[in-house]
Amino acid sequence: MRTTLKNPYVYFIFVVPTIALYFLFFIYPMLTSVYYGFTNWNGLDTKDYIGFDNFANAFKDEDFRNSILNNLYILLFSCCVQVPLIVVFSLLISGVKRFQGFYKTTVFMPSILSTSVIGILWGYIYDPDVGLINNILKTFGMDPIYFLADTKWALVSILITNAWQWMGFYIVLILAAILAIPRDIDEAAMIDGATGVQRAWYLTVPLIKPIINVVIMLSIAGALRVVDIVLVMTDGGPAGATDVMASYMVNKAIKFGDYGYGTALSIIIFIFALILTALYQILIVRRQEKVEY
Amino acid sequence: MAINLRKSVPHLVMLVYVVVILVPFVFILFSSFKANNLEIATHPFGLPKSWEFGNYKEAWVKAKINVYFFNSLYLAFTAAAAGVLLAAATAFAITRMKFRRTSNWIYQFVLIGMLIPGNVLFIAQYLLVQKLGILDTHWSLFLPYTAGALPFSVLLVSAFMKAIPHELEEAAVVDGMGVFRMFVQIILPLTVPALVTVFIVNFLGNWNEYLLSFFFISKDALRTLPSGMVQFRDAFQTNYALVCTGIVFSVVPVLVMYAFLQRKIIEGLTAGSVKG
Amino acid sequence: MQKKLVSVLALSVAMSAFLAACGNNENNNTASPSASESSSPSPSPSASESAPASESASPEKVENFTVSLRHIQIGDAQKFRKAILDDVVKKTEAEVPGLKIELDPVEDSVNRFTKLPAEMAAGNPPKIFSVFGGAGDTQKYAKAGRMLDLTPIIDELGLKDKFLNVLEPFSVDGKVYGLPIGGNTEGIFYNTELFAKYNLNPPTTWDDLIKAADTLKQNNITPFAVGSKGAWVPNMLVNTLIGRIAGEGANAGFITGDTKWNSPDVVAAYQLFADWEKAGYFTKGELGKEYADMLNDFVAGKAGMMFDGSWRSSAFKNDAIGAAVAGKVAFVNLPAVPNGKGDQTSVNANYGEGYGFSADLNENEKKAVKAFIKNMYSDEMQLRGLLEDGVLPSMKLTDASQVTDPIVKQVLDVLNGAGASFPHFDSIVTSKVYTETETQLQKLIAGKATPQEVGDAIQKVQDAENAAAAK
Repeated sequence: MRTTLKNPYVYFIFVVPTIALYFLFFIYPMLTSVYYGFTNWNGLDTKDYIGFDNFANAFKDEDFRNSILNNLYILLFSCCVQVPLIVVFSLLISGVKRFQGFYKTTVFMPSILSTSVIGILWGYIYDPDVGLINNILKTFGMDPIYFLADTKWALVSILITNAWQWMGFYIVLILAAILAIPRDIDEAAMIDGATGVQRAWYLTVPLIKPIINVVIMLSIAGALRVVDIVLVMTDGGPAGATDVMASYMVNKAIKFGDYGYGTALSIIIFIFALILTALYQILIVRRQEKVEY
Repeated sequence: MAINLRKSVPHLVMLVYVVVILVPFVFILFSSFKANNLEIATHPFGLPKSWEFGNYKEAWVKAKINVYFFNSLYLAFTAAAAGVLLAAATAFAITRMKFRRTSNWIYQFVLIGMLIPGNVLFIAQYLLVQKLGILDTHWSLFLPYTAGALPFSVLLVSAFMKAIPHELEEAAVVDGMGVFRMFVQIILPLTVPALVTVFIVNFLGNWNEYLLSFFFISKDALRTLPSGMVQFRDAFQTNYALVCTGIVFSVVPVLVMYAFLQRKIIEGLTAGSVKG
Repeated sequence: MQKKLVSVLALSVAMSAFLAACGNNENNNTASPSASESSSPSPSPSASESAPASESASPEKVENFTVSLRHIQIGDAQKFRKAILDDVVKKTEAEVPGLKIELDPVEDSVNRFTKLPAEMAAGNPPKIFSVFGGAGDTQKYAKAGRMLDLTPIIDELGLKDKFLNVLEPFSVDGKVYGLPIGGNTEGIFYNTELFAKYNLNPPTTWDDLIKAADTLKQNNITPFAVGSKGAWVPNMLVNTLIGRIAGEGANAGFITGDTKWNSPDVVAAYQLFADWEKAGYFTKGELGKEYADMLNDFVAGKAGMMFDGSWRSSAFKNDAIGAAVAGKVAFVNLPAVPNGKGDQTSVNANYGEGYGFSADLNENEKKAVKAFIKNMYSDEMQLRGLLEDGVLPSMKLTDASQVTDPIVKQVLDVLNGAGASFPHFDSIVTSKVYTETETQLQKLIAGKATPQEVGDAIQKVQDAENAAAAK
């Protein structure tokens, strides 16, 4: 017993490949990011240390500030529009007996598809000439809307596509929690004469709060991470109307060779993510726990 | 009557939602069989006047969907499998072997990875891959895909392995079983549900990954489906039917897989996100 | 100098029958080592130098190797240029034993602004690649030591004097790092059928142009097709407007500080563009349209005109993507702009697109590169470029009497009638400045910035770059 499970060589063999890969592709890039973030490296010439210039410039950079705002819009939309809708749909599905499996299967479908393919798919649905939506508008005699070309519509269009892709995923998540609630609680309330809506609001929702918190957390993380769909659908355009932090960073670094600046932006994104999740943990989750116990 | 009405309200609402989900697919499917843009524009919902199966042949050949498809398949598979194996080995070492303090450190160390949003490391990984000289090879995707899955995989498999009773391996040790055999013959089989979950999550993640695949690979023959599709769209921007065909090609395999593995996939992805 | 460029070009085209004949004779008879254009896989020139007895020795030990070639000839609109490339590749492979050229097609702007810069940073560009001349491209990469110095090769092949005076954007300190495949100018294509239908004069004067645009607009036809998702497309018109309003020397002045982006003249050019934007002269939803969409709208008769490069002329052949309007398209120079400062016949002339080569080549790859240059930059291919693809030759070799394509003839007329020429600013300013012009132009189109704001923003970046260059 002792020798078998205490063999340091075996331990070494089991652990080292993982640690090595992990170090190489997580820790090392993180460290180099910090290093490059303080240089003006353009990928070709020598790199000079320039202190906090990149970070200062980032917050002076109107286009980057604009992309932060877009991330915030996405975040607000997911938390204030998507999450309530998700909860409502989950409650609806949990309340029906027939077709429950069918609903669950169908709503989940978009979330297994590649974001880039979804971007292309919706690009056609939004197309001003042959797209589905504009075809419908045309039958009502309305002018076509240039969804992805109009600065007023582009971000909204991406938000809708994003919601279409991910809502089902979260619905299934919450549904699992609802279905795990013991039935007798619900039945007892029903005997007391509570209506379906009352039961949902006063009974189910409080019980699934932890999972709703998880969904909100994931939405926040998702809102900060979003990039594929932007790159595929609009590449940040028109005129920066849909640029998010990550797409702006990728374009700055790769397209324009501004590696120093790009990595500085990536550090800012990381810090944003840390602050937001920490804030959420402190403000919401902690307080709820106190209330509950 | 009133009860019937009340009962059907949820179904009505859900019907709308389901239609919103399915209509894009149907639109794309029909469009992919249509002869030209004009027909798509004038009859968006109608069945194609004549079913142009030639579109499919053309897309398969022109778009090299076959090439992208198999690249994606084998990369997603091998990277997911490698990730699962490495994670299982590490999880075994840190949960079942007697190096508690080191194990704790390693566990915490790997956990940090969960805090880093994927795309933050993109530029640095890009430069790393350049330095390693593997840019524009499948290694440049295989390694980051495998590594990227590790924090979550180690976490989940460890949680699962912790729950396995210690009596099992004590008996095995008494029987004189070595560590490797114990790992392969006793622990791994017991962990299969977690391993499958991790595998599916990783597989889908790799299958759908776009950012790295687009920027790390420039040889057409090495592209994966997500980046290959984008390339295809850019090249055939205005032949809507052909691009719709391309979409059908890239969507159908995943949907078929979903049909068969539905329950496992849902479990896998929900577990993946909740534990993560 | 710019003036000279046009006249040299015109001269070369005009005198071409003679020159081409000379060139051919020279190639066929005199003993330039490279010129054996035989189809048999004879050993490449350098091979024959190093191993005179090679004929018997070569077959037994042929080392197979591949050379990567990045090109941008994607899609139907580029098929003529692609055919030329394919033939050059085939020929080169036949001449160099063991060589396999691996084609890597990438869309133009993706290659120029994404792939190639990244590969340059990594130090692993393809061995042969499509590249643009100028400060933001070839010159930047050459200075960083990433590109092969071609001077000895073109000397050896005797190509040095065959090029027109067009190698400047591809040169650093007198050394040549890239070779332009041809040239182009940018002007107005218009649909003669639509113009006839609405009784419009060809847009050769400013008044006729405006009248045409207004009339088309009233009849629900887009005056100018444009696809501004990639802002280089509308930037073509902006560039010519700047050249006309601020003078043909204006572009070159941006890097010296003689011209300011926010000077009244340049702002006036942007203002004119913004006015057209406001008047609805451009495609609706242009910011979501690709370059290919622009041609499609024009071909479909949805638009009456488009401001585009002369390379587009090949799209209107009978067997090309724009066959629907074949024979109904004409090309004219932008008419004289009222109150413009420059020569109002001046044209934008570019010899921007060419091929460059990685600095990191082994002996075999060098042989392949040499053979590729020999085959690509030949009389035959230059002539084919002009006849089949409408690309103006970059070398003094072409027999223009063979030009039958009416649009290509019109392009040549425009060049002959031009009093001066100016380069596109994308081959002058650094990539940071150029990027800013794209960003700002899209803002202008979206109505999010005024012409003055656009000029100010670009000048700010220009100042920073000029200061950095002065260091």
